[in-house]
This record gives sequence, structure tokens and C-alpha cells, in this order.
Amino acid sequence: MLITNPLNSSELVFPTLECFHIVGFALSIGTIAIVDFALLGVGMRRQTPAQLAKDTWLWTLGGLVLMFFSGLLLFSSDPDMYYLNWAFLIKMIFFVAAVLFHYTIHRKAVVSDTPPANGKAIACVSLLLWCGVVFGGIFIGFIYPGLSLGKG
Amino acid sequence: MLLSFAQWIQATALFTALRGSADVYPVVMALHMVGISLFGGMILMTDMRLLGWAMRKRSISDVVDQFRVPKRWGLLLTVTCGVLMAGSKAEEYYYNSFFRTKLILLAAVIVFELVFYRSVYAHPAALDRTPGIPGTAKTAAVLSLLLWIAIACCGRGIGYIEPPLDKIHAEIHAAKAAALAALHTPSTPEGRVR
Repeated sequence: MLITNPLNSSELVFPTLECFHIVGFALSIGTIAIVDFALLGVGMRRQTPAQLAKDTWLWTLGGLVLMFFSGLLLFSSDPDMYYLNWAFLIKMIFFVAAVLFHYTIHRKAVVSDTPPANGKAIACVSLLLWCGVVFGGIFIGFIYPGLSLGKG
Repeated sequence: MLLSFAQWIQATALFTALRGSADVYPVVMALHMVGISLFGGMILMTDMRLLGWAMRKRSISDVVDQFRVPKRWGLLLTVTCGVLMAGSKAEEYYYNSFFRTKLILLAAVIVFELVFYRSVYAHPAALDRTPGIPGTAKTAAVLSLLLWIAIACCGRGIGYIEPPLDKIHAEIHAAKAAALAALHTPSTPEGRVR
């Protein structure tokens, strides 16, 4: 018996999940950008990057979780299409790189009491990786791998 | 009048070129999303601070004052890219009910700013001096969150409404409209394209 994904039974589910996805990435990328701006020394001068990271890490994580699980459900609506979509693959590479970078090198640079010499470079890499994720996400909708048409 | 304005603006050289460009249009849309990441993040954090949900260790003025600049840059990027996208498909969007709702909500944001900007967002230091967070600030934060989340959802909804092809003049739809017309009324294939 063929079991169909219940998410595909209503036309409203996909766009609703996309709205959650948008709120999730605005929260996570926005809070990461706050810390990165502090590392770069653009604004946020009243607190250190370490203080801002302490203030926002839970919201960053919450945003990432919301983005990840809504994204997983979006993916489940048409896995073949995503698998064949090169923009999606690039997005996943950027996403894995961005998350790994965030919780290793970025975290180490942020929590140290004295800002590291390469702090600005680390902030730039962080911002570029997350921009890469956003760009990949948008281009998914503009690429048609042939099996089925992309949504949105 | 609005319709003829929409037809005129999308016929300008800039918007005609943007509509025809398969590479630039998605880049503009992606930059719109980058702007939303920045602007949306700042809105969420600022309003959640006003509600006492986030960054409670920092004073309200620290959060509101420091997030104001990135918030404005994010808004500028989002609005610029939004205008570019809307202008290039102005006639189609004229018929789009999500786009219409989004514009009404953006007008509501202007009213919101007129009501709450001076009392809440312009002078956050005054909010730090009061014992609790004033009700006005909390009301503003709730309204702001609701308005902006609704605007984001309407924006996402725009893409799900098929344009009324028989009414659209933009050349990008002409081929699609002609094909549809030929399919439905084989005797007069050009009948529905003006």
C-alpha cells in the first residue's frame, strides 16, 4: 500500500511551513549577525561579543531548531525534487559548514575574554556562510530538475 | 488609475530589464531575504526585550539603541529589493490579494510608527527608569510582532497566486497566455492576448 505524505494533502501546509521557516532563520541569523557585528566593531559597542553571545545563544538555537525542523518537513514534501536540485545541495553544504563553524571556531572566538586578532575575519566568514544558506534557499525555487516543478 | 500606474511602472526600462533577466531577479529576491534575516532578527529581539522575554540582563535602551542601526540597514535592503521585485511585476501584483494585503499592512506600520515611535522606540532610556515595563511598550511590541510576521507571511503568499493571464500585458506572460489561449480556444489562438 502506498502511503502518501499527509503534508501533501493540503495546499496550505507548505506555505505555512515556509512562514515558520522564515521566522526561524530571521531569529537565528539575526542573532548571529548581532554577535558578528560586535566582533567586527560595527555598533553594539556597549557590550562585548561574549556578553551578546550569552544573551542570544538560546534564541539562536531556538531559531535554528525551528528553521531545521520546518525545513525537514518542507523537504519531505518532494524529496526527489530537492535531491536533484543543485541549489538545494549547495544550500545544504553552506548550512552544514555554517553550523559547524558557528559552534566551533566562531564560538571559541566569541567566548574568549580578549577578542582574538582574527575576530573580524571570523565574523565575515560567519556572515558569508549564512548568506550562502539564504541564497541557496532562494535559488531552489528557480531551478527545475525535470522530475517535478519546484514550488514558490 | 492604480492599474494604469502599475502598467506604466513595469513598462519602464529598469523594470522591463529586471523582469526579463533570469539571473538578476533571483539575486534580488535572495537579497530581500538577507535583508529580512537582519531586519526581522532585530525586530524580533527588540520587541521580545520590550516584552521582557529576551536579553533581560541588558537595559531596554542598550537593546533598542544598539539594534536600531542594523535594523534600519536591514529594512533599507529589504524595501529596496522589494520595490525592485514589485515594480517588475506591478501589473500582475495589482491583482494579487496577498500583495494588496501586504501593502495595507505596511500602511498600518506607518500608523503604528506614528502612534508608538515617540512614546516607545525613540526614548528607550525613559522605559528603563520606570519600575516595570510600561503597558504601552508591551502593546507596541505585541502589535509590531504581529504586523511584521503577518507581512512576512503575506510576502510568501504572493508567490502562490497565479496571475490572471488574460489580463496581463507584460511580455513575460504573453507566451504563456498565448499557449493557454490556444489550448482553450483553438479557433482564435490570439484572441486573448492584447
